[in-house]
Amino acid sequence: MERRTFLQIAIATGGLVTAAIVAIPVIGTALSPVLRRESGELWQPIGALENFPIGQMTRANVTVPRDDWSQTLREKGLYVLRSSNAELIVFSRNCTDLSCPIVWDEGSNCFFCPCHGGIFSRQGDPMKGPPKRALYRYAARVRNDTVEIDLRSVPPMA
Amino acid sequence: MAKRWRTWISDRFGLRRVYEGTLNRRVAKSSWYYGDGATLTFLLGVLVVTGMFMSLTYTPSPDGAYESIRFITEKQVLGWFVRGLHYWAAGMMVVMLFFHLFRQILVGGYKFPREGTWLIGVILFFAIILMSFTGYLLRWDERSIYALKVAQHMFSRLPWIGESVVVFIQGGTEPGATTLTRLYAVHVIFVPVLLGLFVIWHIYLVIIHGVTSQEERNQPIYTASQQRQLYRAQARSREKGENFFPMTVFKSGLMATIVFAIVLTLTLTLGPQRLYPEADLTTISRPIEEWWFYWYSGLIALLPNTIAPWFVVIFPIVLFIILILLPFIDRSPWRGFKKRLWPPIVVGICVIGILYLTDLRRRSPWTGWPDSEPPPVPAGVVLSPEAEQGRQLFAQYGCNSCHPISGHGRKVAVDFGQIERRLSQDYIRDYILQPPEGIAMPGYRGRMSAQDLERIVEFVLVAQTFPRSQ
Repeated sequence: MERRTFLQIAIATGGLVTAAIVAIPVIGTALSPVLRRESGELWQPIGALENFPIGQMTRANVTVPRDDWSQTLREKGLYVLRSSNAELIVFSRNCTDLSCPIVWDEGSNCFFCPCHGGIFSRQGDPMKGPPKRALYRYAARVRNDTVEIDLRSVPPMA
Repeated sequence: MAKRWRTWISDRFGLRRVYEGTLNRRVAKSSWYYGDGATLTFLLGVLVVTGMFMSLTYTPSPDGAYESIRFITEKQVLGWFVRGLHYWAAGMMVVMLFFHLFRQILVGGYKFPREGTWLIGVILFFAIILMSFTGYLLRWDERSIYALKVAQHMFSRLPWIGESVVVFIQGGTEPGATTLTRLYAVHVIFVPVLLGLFVIWHIYLVIIHGVTSQEERNQPIYTASQQRQLYRAQARSREKGENFFPMTVFKSGLMATIVFAIVLTLTLTLGPQRLYPEADLTTISRPIEEWWFYWYSGLIALLPNTIAPWFVVIFPIVLFIILILLPFIDRSPWRGFKKRLWPPIVVGICVIGILYLTDLRRRSPWTGWPDSEPPPVPAGVVLSPEAEQGRQLFAQYGCNSCHPISGHGRKVAVDFGQIERRLSQDYIRDYILQPPEGIAMPGYRGRMSAQDLERIVEFVLVAQTFPRSQ
């Protein structure tokens, strides 16, 4: 091998190895949220059962546990429909089209999305506009007269 | 004496070669509207300076971001001005970006030997769009948090990796501290550094290859070397060429100055974008994207819901691929648009489309929303007590969440004040109780008393007789 070729290869190899030693850890650390993502159920209380009158749509908040250092955005809004004594439907407040925050209209018994005209029925079914899918429903249960939902029972965008 | 100093400085600091290579060179004569590139560079400068000085105060933490922007705007000396300049320069940057892109398509600016200039320009296009988006997320008001959610939802539609991409961007499964630091880093470090490098490269290539000249637009050119010959001859010629400094610089600078005057006027009259309520996922809000994204939002709203979910994923990718491939697809010898019919047609459709969709999104006639205010009664009309009660019930039962009356209110459903064929009492009554299949209206059977129903029907009947506006 010529001296010149050897030096070229040495420079390229040395450069690549050095670059990799720096690049791989920084990419890894940037990917940390994905790699550390936890799965499994995550049940959180949303209020006492008596807060949800039968036959009514009620607004509720759920506390989102996070391991970071900021205090804001710890709560998420929800809509709860207690259709009968035993049956509770907990709707995500995000439109299924693009996650805009829907609003419940007591007058017309519809959910309206503020963005592109999505309208959902009382049961969360899409009636008009871009959404194709019904509103996301959290898995819900009652423990000691407290309503709990599983935060991981809907996709991250719900 | 002064001349000796100048010679010494330019020699010792190596400025002579820079001067010869950039300012003191012959170029083909250019029109005033060729100043859009210079304008973009200038706006970028304004954004970098104002952005740097806002970063002296801005706090990239969800607990402090909103308050720090409030502080900049309300307490800091001239903070409102710096923020206003940043905001309007950003908006105009997007406008000029489209101008620049469309003009290059019109004149064939991507043609040989300028493919490299174009390809780097395409990267710059997407980088600037990314900046114009991440920038307003940093405000951390309700518009920011929902803009982030919407963008995230689009990413979540990517096949296989969607959810991971969402978590990656957000820095977790829920938006929080790590979300804002990420957005901040992307907006003030990652993209600006790349943007700076690519802008320099872009301009370097503009110096090497020049910009599409008038002569090039008038005749067919078959090879890159033919183009170079033609351009060089034109640049050297007395009539068709000019000195870059001061001739071209003056013309470009004029355009940049005019655009800056617009930015300044908007800053002084409208000020920086107002701060909406702080980001919060529990309160009711009606967010909307920044105005330079209205057209895209309008387009998404118009698309049938079988296409829209895929469109938001595919459109940016397809646009990128088309723009990247353009110089390799369109290899015809003609530039300009005298012999190229498709560019004026495509650009014309795009411009009209963008303006139309922007206005449509501004009006958003598709959005229903609760409104406790009953529809107004036109001047000179007196309602019977029953119809008046019906008018109140019209709001109470949320009819006005969708139905306007004589143009007032949401515009989702039929306007009874402007209806073409009057509806009968029985028809209205039956419709309210049980709307036909496939109509996006809730049936009121079982939750509206007979009396309320009659009152509402009465009001709708009267509304049909309201004097027509216009």
